[in-house]
Amino acid sequence: MRDYVYQRPVVLGLLLCTATVALVLTGMLAGSTGLDDWHALGALLGLMPADADSGMLAQIVWQIRMPRSIGAWLAGALLGLAGALAQAVFRNPLADPYLLGSASGASLGVCLALVAMDGSLVAMPWLARLGLTGAAFVGAILAVAMTAALASGMAQTLRLLLAGVVVAVVLGAATSLVLQMYPHLLQSMQGFMLGSTAFVGWDSCALMLAALLPGLGLAMVLGRWLDGLALGEQTAASLGLPVQPMRWILIITLALATGAAVAHTGLIAFVGLAAPHITRRMVRWGSRHGVLLASLMGGLLLVAADLLARVVIAPRELPVGVLTALIGGAYLLWLMRRHKQGGGVS
Amino acid sequence: MKKWALLLGLCLACTWGWAGVTLTDDKGRKVTIAQAPKRIVSLLPSLTETVCALGRCKDLVGVDRYSNFPQGVRKLPQLGGGLDPQIEAIFALKPDLVLAASSSPGTERLAALGLTVLQLEPKDQADAVRVVRMLAQALYVADPELVIQQMDLEFAQAKALMPVGARGKKVYFEVGSAPYAAGAASFIGQTLSHLGLVNIVGPELGPFPKINPELVVRAQPDVVVVADSSFSTLAQRPGWGLVRALQDHKVCTFSQEEGDLLVRPGPRMGQGAQLLARCFARLYPKGQTP
Amino acid sequence: MKPLSPAALQVTGLHVALSGAKVLHDVHASIPRGRWVSIVGPNGAGKSTLLAAMAGLLPVQGRVELGGEDLQAMPAARRAQQLAWMGQGESVGDDLSALDLTLLGRLPHQSWFSGLDAADQALAEQALRDMHAWQWRERYVGTLSGGERQRVLLARALAVQAPVLLLDEPLANLDPPHQADWLDLMRSLVTAGTTVVSVLHEISMALQADELLVMQQGRVVHQGACTDALSHRALESVFDDRIQVRTVDGQLVALPRSTRR
Repeated sequence: MRDYVYQRPVVLGLLLCTATVALVLTGMLAGSTGLDDWHALGALLGLMPADADSGMLAQIVWQIRMPRSIGAWLAGALLGLAGALAQAVFRNPLADPYLLGSASGASLGVCLALVAMDGSLVAMPWLARLGLTGAAFVGAILAVAMTAALASGMAQTLRLLLAGVVVAVVLGAATSLVLQMYPHLLQSMQGFMLGSTAFVGWDSCALMLAALLPGLGLAMVLGRWLDGLALGEQTAASLGLPVQPMRWILIITLALATGAAVAHTGLIAFVGLAAPHITRRMVRWGSRHGVLLASLMGGLLLVAADLLARVVIAPRELPVGVLTALIGGAYLLWLMRRHKQGGGVS
Repeated sequence: MKKWALLLGLCLACTWGWAGVTLTDDKGRKVTIAQAPKRIVSLLPSLTETVCALGRCKDLVGVDRYSNFPQGVRKLPQLGGGLDPQIEAIFALKPDLVLAASSSPGTERLAALGLTVLQLEPKDQADAVRVVRMLAQALYVADPELVIQQMDLEFAQAKALMPVGARGKKVYFEVGSAPYAAGAASFIGQTLSHLGLVNIVGPELGPFPKINPELVVRAQPDVVVVADSSFSTLAQRPGWGLVRALQDHKVCTFSQEEGDLLVRPGPRMGQGAQLLARCFARLYPKGQTP
Repeated sequence: MKPLSPAALQVTGLHVALSGAKVLHDVHASIPRGRWVSIVGPNGAGKSTLLAAMAGLLPVQGRVELGGEDLQAMPAARRAQQLAWMGQGESVGDDLSALDLTLLGRLPHQSWFSGLDAADQALAEQALRDMHAWQWRERYVGTLSGGERQRVLLARALAVQAPVLLLDEPLANLDPPHQADWLDLMRSLVTAGTTVVSVLHEISMALQADELLVMQQGRVVHQGACTDALSHRALESVFDDRIQVRTVDGQLVALPRSTRR
């Protein structure tokens, strides 16, 4: 019974990047008429005669489709990063960036911000967008702080997870309560809860990128230490790792990453859970690359889901969260079956 | 007095069948209403308005939290929403008729508790008229035709208000910020087509599809109709700066209350149509080239 | 320059409480350099707790010294290089390959930004070979059997190349041939100058060490050479005379003593 020797991380990384670029380019061709907009490509490349129509098309591609695909990638990358960090910190393959209540906190933050701004969720001016992002961040961090307080510190994993569930439920209930008092926000929040990439513009992309880069940088610097955590807290401490401060830093990073993604695309399930898992089954897991690859995988997952959401029943759209679950879940199942046959990890 | 009441009751019974009125509601259930209900609970705003339009407002003992017209109705006990009715509170009021939407949960429970439940959900203009007639039967109202004629009149007035220059114009009607559009197949879509307008979202997409925002940019509607709470951010949506209707300020906004008029297929739907017509009259004033 | 203290590890006046309950009471012990000390005692004696305290993993009252220096005051990085600890019964690291897990033992010697170099790889390889686990280097630890995984975990501890090795139940899940291998390995390490402290519940194996540290109910009852008869007596008495220590073919063994005579 031999195990697979998996692909090398570099190979997987290149594959992911190539696939991402391919999908983003395809995204340029996917719009309200489905996937047959070669005119769009032509318009962009200047091959078409310059008329109002092709000018409009070029603008649509540049102003709507490109930021949407790239924004989907960025959100997916943030969620993949958060998922990989959550799984490392909690040594639990079922850990999810929403586990500590960060998503519920972000939701409540967004909800309260909407009440304060009394407006709709989508496409706010730059400053207002920052305000919403800020509200999501603050909500995510406060939720994590609540969880930590409830679990009296970050020491025991099980207590922390339980506290996270409690906080998630309580904050979710608080959000529902607020919506009862302000029912006209219900529709905005519902769209938020289902997750949507429909109105991601260049400013959202910029904000998400600003959150992704430091997050990734930190994860890569702390890479080997993440692996040390996999041995258990006492062993990690015996290897000289500053376990408590590390957990704080990692948990805050994951809360920020989740908050950033959630602020712009709402709650998109499954990406944070599936991306690290899929990566783990394809490559020998060594954390300096592991987190980066999980992030790339998350980005790819969401770009693909966004593309399908736009194309399948064009000009209508499917909720992107449904598609991430379908794509991610299906691929994960396939990988697990392949593993079973190869006698690999159960 | 009692004798007269008995005689009247007998007459009504003779007129309308042996055991009172039997109706088949929108869920296919056969509901028998033995006599004119004196204590009515309504869990759908359009049904509340219909009851009042038929002159039975005084018989209402409780409504849902979204019923807000006419004004007097707001003072009645609120019994939750259409989707979360408070069973106990409803039961405690001892209604002899409960009106609810077809999609309302809890109706089985109410029926099991022995209450008479009539489920109606008007979805378009024809439905609205049918519901007026059915409720008239259920409430033992002699002549609903007056109400229907009023509705028709209001519609005709709306049509008359529509400026010539607005005929055939393309409209995008947004009902939700995801964005959800009101398609040609929806009640709102019907109102728009009655006013001679063209919906950029065709009937094949369903009544309230969640559309790709790109569709609006490509279709370049002449007029955008949107809730005033969404209006402020419309131009900032990626790519929507290209929408000419926004550049030319050809936008109709509606407030919360005006929205009620537009989305409820009830007795005031003609007034909703008038609202739209007046907006279009402002956007396309007579004497100006469209 | 300070003279090298004769004791690798010195524990003075140690009191440890876990979850409110006092586990260790006023423990004094001295682990000589380059010797192998076995901590023995009945269940609940506090053996694992003492080992963890010696590794600096628990908050303690009292003093623990590593090579004459206060352990609490020592920077974690240096402590990690001087002292390798292996815990008991850990089912972690399943998602790593055996080689990657062993390489984690090199963490104390890695700086922030540097990766692993050839020397690290060589040491990890040596550790795996010593534990006869090199053939599984690419396999996920989660797919190995209990004994195989234990050997990988031991290799991880060896890879640290620390002068002091603290092992808690190192023989768990190992079958007799591998137990014998481990014994040989310990002997050679000690001969080369490593200090080993082990907690073993297999008394016969514990008796193969240089010294015994006998504990009972959170206190050290006796510390002395394994060949010393006093140590044997202390050992027998903490186990309520349910064992007897004998010499068979020149090797010490502990045999169970039946109460039915």
